[in-house]
Amino acid sequence: MLGVARDATAEEIKKAFRRLARKYHPDVSKEANAEARMKEVNEAHAVLSDPEKRAAYDQLGKGFRAGQDFRPPPDWDAGFEFSGRDFSGGQAADFSDFFSELFGRQGGRAAGFHARGEDHHAKILIDLEDAYQGATRLVTLRTPKADEHGRVVMAEHGLNVRIPKGVHEGQVLRLTGQGSPGMGEGSAGDLYLEIHFKPHPRYRVEGRDVYATLRVAPWEAALGASVKATLPDGNVEVRVPEGSQTGRNLRLKGRGIPGAPPGDLYLVLEVVLPPADSPRARALYQTMASDLAFDPRESR
Amino acid sequence: MTTEELTAALLDEVRIGLEELAASCTVSREWVIEHVQAGVLLERAGPDPGVWSFTSHDLIRARHLYALEHQFDANPELAGLVVDLVEELERLRARLKRAGLSSD
Repeated sequence: MLGVARDATAEEIKKAFRRLARKYHPDVSKEANAEARMKEVNEAHAVLSDPEKRAAYDQLGKGFRAGQDFRPPPDWDAGFEFSGRDFSGGQAADFSDFFSELFGRQGGRAAGFHARGEDHHAKILIDLEDAYQGATRLVTLRTPKADEHGRVVMAEHGLNVRIPKGVHEGQVLRLTGQGSPGMGEGSAGDLYLEIHFKPHPRYRVEGRDVYATLRVAPWEAALGASVKATLPDGNVEVRVPEGSQTGRNLRLKGRGIPGAPPGDLYLVLEVVLPPADSPRARALYQTMASDLAFDPRESR
Repeated sequence: MTTEELTAALLDEVRIGLEELAASCTVSREWVIEHVQAGVLLERAGPDPGVWSFTSHDLIRARHLYALEHQFDANPELAGLVVDLVEELERLRARLKRAGLSSD
């Protein structure tokens, strides 16, 4: 994963990790699947840079391939008392199946040990309309579980999450108690969901404000008109002021994403020319050309 | 399969405190305090950590800072600078999208 030899030194591992962390940094990387790759790189680093986990990993041997069911060796727990903090904490929620199985909670290993379960973080994509009306969305999560033979398998489970009206990009929802179960008498962790909007063909969103293009005919823009516009929360009649040009913003106060205060909705005008595809249309354009003293290069 | 409907709390409506932020990012209280004092988290914070409250944005920012420090052994100021740049990049990308231009 990190492209280092099996006997790489700590310094070599660190260097390889940093190089890849930069290459696949999800916020700036242009690489395909940067986010997934970064997750793998993080895992590999977490394992190889911790002497305890590296020893465990080495002992697994070379037989294991990703995708196989992983069965802990019979003496799995014996020699490896993980100190915990770094691995069960940190970015543990971002770890993929393989490593979660390897190092995930071993379930009540030490009697009398209590700890609060980990918080989990995930991103969800919702529709803009969900932010206007609120919605219930099914969120699918994968968590390690023991099957009837005591093996650790990944179990998918769905949560029906009520998305409150008025959420916007980058806000975080908290589902109390939906993170990892606690150990002993510790309470369960929480699940945090970061909200992102699916790209919408008609609307663009910035914070609570929503932008849409409103196409108008030249006479509507020139003379002013009442036109019908479709908004995420229904249709409205909008007054296009006389003398409007392409790019003019019409603000509909409070018609953006609801909240206190609600966002605004901006209709960005785009003047669309009718095609000169008939003798009648051509004649009208020719009349304008001859009768109007208009030079568009002079007006700016 | 039917599952019950869970009601999500919107951070920003319910602010989270120092302990909760630390727990959700799996960092210590001291880590949070150090970063607030370094000015990279929660600008305009008062002197008493007991009354600090954090927003969605602070939570995402803290996780970013932690990841950068962890991955690159960055100090808080350098991680703060990178997160500022990433946020600026996101803001500019959002403006491109708003103008109907994709950043891809």
